[in-house]
Amino acid sequence: MAGFGLEWIQMSYLAEVDLGSSFRPFGALQNLFGFVPNLFRAQTLLPRIIEAEAGLAAAVLGKDRALPRSQKELMALVVAAAYGDTYCFTQQHQTLCSLGVADHQLDQIVRDHHEAGLSRPDTVLLDYALKLAMAAPWLSGKDINLLRDHGFTDESILEAIVVTGLTDFFCTLSRGLDPPHDFQPRPIPGSSKAPQADLRSYAGGTAGPYLPTVELSPERFPPFALFLERFGLIPKLFRAQTLRPDLIEAEADAVRKVLGPVDILSHVQKECIFLVGSAANLNTYCVAAHCEMLRTMGVSMEESDQIAVDHHHAELSEADKSLLDFALKLTARSSEFDREDIELLRRHGFSEKHILEAVAATALNNFFNTLQMGLGTTPDYDTKHVFGPKEAHLSSAVDRPRERAQLDPDAELVGRVQNGDLDTFEELVARHSRRVYRTLMAIIGNVEAAQDAMQDTFLKAFQHIGEFQGRSKFSTWLVTIANNTGVQRLRERRHIESLDDVPSKADAEFRPRQIRAWAEDPEQLCSQAERRELVERELMKLPVKYRVVLALRDIEQLSGQETAEALGLGIAAMKARLLRARLMLREALAPHFVSSAKRTGP
Amino acid sequence: MITCDEFMADLGNYLEGDVAVEVRRQLEHHLSHCQICQVVYDSTLKTVKIVTDSGSFDLPDAAAGPIKDKIMARIRKKSVS
Repeated sequence: MAGFGLEWIQMSYLAEVDLGSSFRPFGALQNLFGFVPNLFRAQTLLPRIIEAEAGLAAAVLGKDRALPRSQKELMALVVAAAYGDTYCFTQQHQTLCSLGVADHQLDQIVRDHHEAGLSRPDTVLLDYALKLAMAAPWLSGKDINLLRDHGFTDESILEAIVVTGLTDFFCTLSRGLDPPHDFQPRPIPGSSKAPQADLRSYAGGTAGPYLPTVELSPERFPPFALFLERFGLIPKLFRAQTLRPDLIEAEADAVRKVLGPVDILSHVQKECIFLVGSAANLNTYCVAAHCEMLRTMGVSMEESDQIAVDHHHAELSEADKSLLDFALKLTARSSEFDREDIELLRRHGFSEKHILEAVAATALNNFFNTLQMGLGTTPDYDTKHVFGPKEAHLSSAVDRPRERAQLDPDAELVGRVQNGDLDTFEELVARHSRRVYRTLMAIIGNVEAAQDAMQDTFLKAFQHIGEFQGRSKFSTWLVTIANNTGVQRLRERRHIESLDDVPSKADAEFRPRQIRAWAEDPEQLCSQAERRELVERELMKLPVKYRVVLALRDIEQLSGQETAEALGLGIAAMKARLLRARLMLREALAPHFVSSAKRTGP
Repeated sequence: MITCDEFMADLGNYLEGDVAVEVRRQLEHHLSHCQICQVVYDSTLKTVKIVTDSGSFDLPDAAAGPIKDKIMARIRKKSVS
């Protein structure tokens, strides 16, 4: 081990115990790395977890089957650099130096591997690893074909996926545990450019499976028997790796050792950690899987959906919420993760072992999320969430901001249309034509023009459905298009007042003039048809920005948030406009509904 | 006791059910003492209900099917070409 001065001596976040020199996983790690990295010593409270990790590391890195070790370490190096993980970066750097790669060349590779004198296949391989680590939802069969074109076999591609996943695993552990450096920490040279996302190529990680498989029978292959017993099926994530049964064995062992025992965190707690982590990673496949797991543990689908979307509003104890906050931060905003997050869990009564298990579960989830994105397996269970491209994830090398996932009743149909099923779009048109029409009528006010604009709205929606990212509900997205289409039509028809001003002050200053009390039950004063005619007539007299906000919030009954989204407004601006609109309409309706109004109707 | 202007400033949030408990208490206290604000609040609530229940701008049943067919025909034509 390299000598290092006192200044690097630090404690990791959690307590450690001495497992003695005969602890076998340490022997395996010694063989693999030439020493036992502190990353593993920081987990001595739960030896079974170190066993799982050592087994996984040996299966992934230890065997020179398809890719040579140096290629694997190079991938790990650029991925750790992209994640901004100094601990893992330093360790990979050291390993590569010991394999004979020069310092300055490594720095150049990290700065820009395209300009580092690497062979074309090496460059393509690093491109792939970075894309999988930083922009997984944009991966598609094309990326796999590019690797094949450069001579990579299916088995070596599988190895590339697993190496990237393992690096994510170890970087998450390093963030969560903050182990003392094994070597003098190396600053990460200005890191590789994050891969550019092309929205059109968004695949969402379920466009595969990309790699061929072989048949393995559960009778002869114990890991599959374990999955059958545990999950009731053999998840496609594992079926997709049958080119390398030894990898599946190591993964099954990790599942057994990390998720199996319930002496510390409960099954439900661990599944919830996997669920919120997978949602943060926008992993449709894994979210569906963990919702199903939770269902088998007695957690309703509604509840697990709520946990995936926003666990703060789920029926969980404060301690469990803080546990999931912890996992979410470690997954989604790991650069902000620090000792204080550990302290928070301690204050909620979690022990050192609880916290270690939570870190390990979060890290293992990242591993499987990366594998799934790389393999592109389609879900084993029904999906309620369709996750969109995480371009925010691309904007920073270390942050993976969680995007808002919503319960969207259209998610499944939209997914089918996105996969090319044109006929399903008809069902979406049927579901939403009234909503779109009403929105357009409120804007345009003319039946023929509104029906015409309705066709355009759906046509635009169809043309751009590939860009729909599931950040808002599909219905809100559609209403946004309808609103834009309607306003555009109206502009073409006549000059209209601007919709874009920031009118909060003017909106707030509206003063009511009609102050006579209304009838107890004003709707009895005239018939439904009369009321409809009256409302339509008076609405059309309002400036367009006011009738649109009324149409969306009070006729369509979108939520405040959805209304604001559809109009491209902030919540406060939307509320100010909405109040003004309601008050203006109130003025117009008042003469018809004051308590002395005649029953003859408007 | 808050003023009518202050009441109006918070009316939007109040109607949206989006005020803190303390603010809600102040608004309701104001309402119980101020006839004018009471009328404005009550009639605005009724306005919202009338608009919501009015069925305004509803697409006639007879029109829905043919428009859907037109939309799908245009989409199919586009995807073929």
